[in-house]
Amino acid sequence: MKKSLKLTDIARGEDTQLTEINPDELIPLPPPYDKVEELPGFKRLTEEQRERLVCNLDGVVSYAALPKPGNKQEEKKYVEQFVSGLKKLLSKENNWTFLQPLLLSIDYCARCQTCNDACPIYLASDLNDLYRPTYRSEIFRLLVNKYVRPGGKLRAKLSGSDIELNWTTISRLYELSYRCNLCRRCAQSCPMGVDNALITRELRKLFSQELGWAPKELHEKGTVLQLEVGSPTGMRPNVAIDNLHFLDEEFTETTGIEVSTTWDKEGADILLIHSAGDIIAFPESPISFSILCNAAGISWTLSSEVGGYDGVNYGLFYDDIQLARVAIRHAQIAKKLGVKKIVMGECGHQHKAFMTVADRLLTGDLDIPRESVMTFLENLVFSGKIEFDPSKNDFPVTLHDPCNIVRNLGIVEPQRRILNYLCPQFREMTPHGVDNYCCGGGGGFSVMSDVNFTDWKVHVAGRMKFKQVIEAFDGQPGPEVKKYICAPCLNCKMQFRDLLDYYGAREKSGIICGGLAELIVNAMVDMKKPFIGWEER
Amino acid sequence: MSFFLIALTYFAYVFIVVMYAVKVVKIVRMPVHLRWELYPVIHEPKSDYGSSYYEDFEQWKKNRRKTLRKGIFFLLRENFCFSEYFKRNRGYWLVLFPWHIGFILIVIFHIVCFFGALVMVAGVSVSAESTFILGRTFYYLILLTGVISFVTGSIGSIGLLIKRLSDKDLRAFTTPQNYFNYLFTLVIFLSGLYAWYFVDPTFSEYRGFWKGLITLSPVPVDYAAAAHIILFALFLIYLPFTRSLHYITKFFAYLWIRWNDAPKDKKMVEELNGLLDQPVSWSAPHIPSGRTWAEIASEKTSDEEKP
Repeated sequence: MKKSLKLTDIARGEDTQLTEINPDELIPLPPPYDKVEELPGFKRLTEEQRERLVCNLDGVVSYAALPKPGNKQEEKKYVEQFVSGLKKLLSKENNWTFLQPLLLSIDYCARCQTCNDACPIYLASDLNDLYRPTYRSEIFRLLVNKYVRPGGKLRAKLSGSDIELNWTTISRLYELSYRCNLCRRCAQSCPMGVDNALITRELRKLFSQELGWAPKELHEKGTVLQLEVGSPTGMRPNVAIDNLHFLDEEFTETTGIEVSTTWDKEGADILLIHSAGDIIAFPESPISFSILCNAAGISWTLSSEVGGYDGVNYGLFYDDIQLARVAIRHAQIAKKLGVKKIVMGECGHQHKAFMTVADRLLTGDLDIPRESVMTFLENLVFSGKIEFDPSKNDFPVTLHDPCNIVRNLGIVEPQRRILNYLCPQFREMTPHGVDNYCCGGGGGFSVMSDVNFTDWKVHVAGRMKFKQVIEAFDGQPGPEVKKYICAPCLNCKMQFRDLLDYYGAREKSGIICGGLAELIVNAMVDMKKPFIGWEER
Repeated sequence: MSFFLIALTYFAYVFIVVMYAVKVVKIVRMPVHLRWELYPVIHEPKSDYGSSYYEDFEQWKKNRRKTLRKGIFFLLRENFCFSEYFKRNRGYWLVLFPWHIGFILIVIFHIVCFFGALVMVAGVSVSAESTFILGRTFYYLILLTGVISFVTGSIGSIGLLIKRLSDKDLRAFTTPQNYFNYLFTLVIFLSGLYAWYFVDPTFSEYRGFWKGLITLSPVPVDYAAAAHIILFALFLIYLPFTRSLHYITKFFAYLWIRWNDAPKDKKMVEELNGLLDQPVSWSAPHIPSGRTWAEIASEKTSDEEKP
């Protein structure tokens, strides 16, 4: 593994990799996951893939469709587009949305490297230079100073880090912008207030908004699909209604409680917007909300408008225009229904995108009150309308803090008050709250699985979190004690599912992952059978 | 020479003030941005564990009381103590702290020299033997701030040079300009130390120079003191071309971005409406060029009808 990298290396070596991921060189995991040879290997690219794909960074490909220039003219075109994008990022007209935060982060970094120690990816990689939060952002700064600012080329020559902008630089930067979870732990640790995660996001934005490059799971099969058919899952409105109708019937039968989902009820108090992925991947989650809302007598509804039944907003990860389009769509749907407020589903980036980032895009009558699922559930649990028996949840439970709900939104305690009340064996991870580690699925990674990207996610991005989970259940390591990771976010749950599957943690340690609402329903006195099914997950 | 020193000093002070003001105005006049706060947000009552007002059920129905005092106090303390560095990067703090203390004290030294000179113009003698308490106070303040600044600044400059050269992680991110900065500041602090130790142990020449500066009556100073005066003036002229403004920009980065959890108000909405009416010229296929932000973001797609 090549660990010692210079900033200028980004432009050198054309198609050669800058580094290689070797699982035995990553930080060790606790037993029984400490034997690398007993784990599935890291999926390497085949010779054919190496020939066909752009794979000049770390042997991992997150976007197979990244175009390769056929000749010098094409390379020149990409370089010109990149420089044009840099200029637009620094212009008020094209980037008023983040101009001030971006410039303050570009111009006033003290290069003290304090932020590196906060990055879970850098730590998990055992300090691989490529994954420093400062590596990509310093290159970005150098390119901005060289290609956008007056006298830049001369200053670049004097700086000792004159980076040539060529195809190699651009393609590596693209891929490198998808080696950061955007969890903003680095920003939190910066004494100067510099935000290297924002720089990463702006880099992604440049690629998306100027060159049209973005992971297909986030763009083509993400926001574009959501705006066109209703959801990145591909579920059209009639399919969403059918699926939930089927789930209503199935859970009515298995739980013995009448489950029904309300659709398109005009004038309802609450429009609940789930992540549609939950309907497919974690159906207990939307069903739990139906059970709880009905039991508490809440006036609520889902929407079957295109986009109205899926709260995800992948634009947060890579593109301001798509972010705005999705957020405005959600607000328009709520306005049409005439609801009093919108309640976020258990989805971290939905919270961040809709409650704060898009807040200044929702002006006039689109500014409908928006409530977090955490305060909504806390109010419901402690309202006295539903009777609970916490002994039903008498198994080890730990809480994963979704970065976008906790560090990025400051919602820390409501979910803890619920767990402390309903889960006798609740324990924290270390660190937790606003200091938590990302699950490794942040920044859009949980839905990205092109070529061998999933291997990188489970080996590197999710490593610190997996280590934390195992350590949280220290003392009860075996599978005979069933354990529950409460992750109130679809993306986090999907990443945990990948981690638990990859490491065989369900079989070796008896760990499953689910949401918060399921734990609440499981503790309901009216629930005659356990709601949480340990075997099915 | 004496006139040159006075002219250079005046120019240096005017230059740095104007340059800093231009930079700050540029930052202040940037358009309102989307919210991008990061917790803990210091003015929140429950900021100890990072909580926000979003933890309150139907928070929009509640009155919020926000105060800037806590944040400003935190940032001012940060600018003097560097406690975030102390907490997160102790090795770096050990050299960064004396370097910055050197700067802070050299600024205070010059401010005290200025007011000391005013006092002298008013007829109060500034010396250890002055019959006026004010005169003795200024004397010792000038002496202490000057000497401590030169010593700590020199230690910090050398320390940062060694730290940046010996730490491979820091070395990879250190530019020639960074090294030049440390050497330049080392020369400035050492020149001050030399002038004080060998030529002007009570700073009487320096006080005389400042009195001459205010009364526009140049007085001759020793070459060592003149060298320090010239170097410091050049340093002031050079500062706007470095990242030194981070002492001030840190306030914007924290108060306007990291801790900016303010919902929209009427004035902001007016500005936002103007920004949303601006045409966008991004080139990717999914962004129709030339249309405004608002048009692009709220456009309808063909496949929107319900089944």
